[in-house]
Amino acid sequence: MTFEFGEAGGGRFHAIHPVLEGILRAAAADPWERCPEGSARLLPPPGSDESLLEDWQDHVQPELREGFGKARSVVEADLSAMTRDKSGEWSLTVPPEHADAWLTTLNAMRLALASEHGLTEADLAGDEEKVDFSTAKGMALLQVNLFAFMQECLIRAMTGA
Amino acid sequence: MAKPGLLESPEVDQRSELDRPWVVVVHNDPVNLMSYVTMVFRRVFGWTAEKAEQHMMEVHVKGRSVVWSGGKEKAEHYVQQLHGFLLLASMEKAS
Repeated sequence: MTFEFGEAGGGRFHAIHPVLEGILRAAAADPWERCPEGSARLLPPPGSDESLLEDWQDHVQPELREGFGKARSVVEADLSAMTRDKSGEWSLTVPPEHADAWLTTLNAMRLALASEHGLTEADLAGDEEKVDFSTAKGMALLQVNLFAFMQECLIRAMTGA
Repeated sequence: MAKPGLLESPEVDQRSELDRPWVVVVHNDPVNLMSYVTMVFRRVFGWTAEKAEQHMMEVHVKGRSVVWSGGKEKAEHYVQQLHGFLLLASMEKAS
């Protein structure tokens, strides 16, 4: 998979292998359904002060979750517009105005997967060639790293770094 | 009826408790990318790239960084914003 920088923060991922295409489409899944335990990381408490918790649970967390859902809808629409070339590889265009939704959605899924499968800093920094992708943890690591690559591309496009 | 002297003391303590500012803390997690955390700091607090990177590195190396201090309402606002970007942030009374 390669990334072509677009104007003003967007870009185009192309040469996406069919195997990665399947993994990429899963980015728009609802993390609360896909990672029922790991998704708790997406709505952390605001602190240990009990006076904050009730209001946070009643008002702030539903608002945040709604925002994550809206971002996922944007991503889902872009994924459904992916195109396939003659060689069987896929392309995905991320318009500049969708880049924030992509960052949020990719990040949410990375956090939920990492939490669900107990991925550590050592796992994330480890040698991918030694990972057993036939295991659930190995597949989670592949997805987390793929989505990290996409995040890095988009951040560079958005910040010009 | 309680003696006046017994009431005065807690009132003084309560006032000083209320006067203490809140601090917003960002905690390290192994998943959020360093470039992403820096970008979020710049957006939320309007910092320069240099200042945002300093705080990001503090989070990475020390495990946490105090990114703001002040009133409770504004602290809640910042924590909510940071949670919207999926950073691990919390607020607490300044020590």
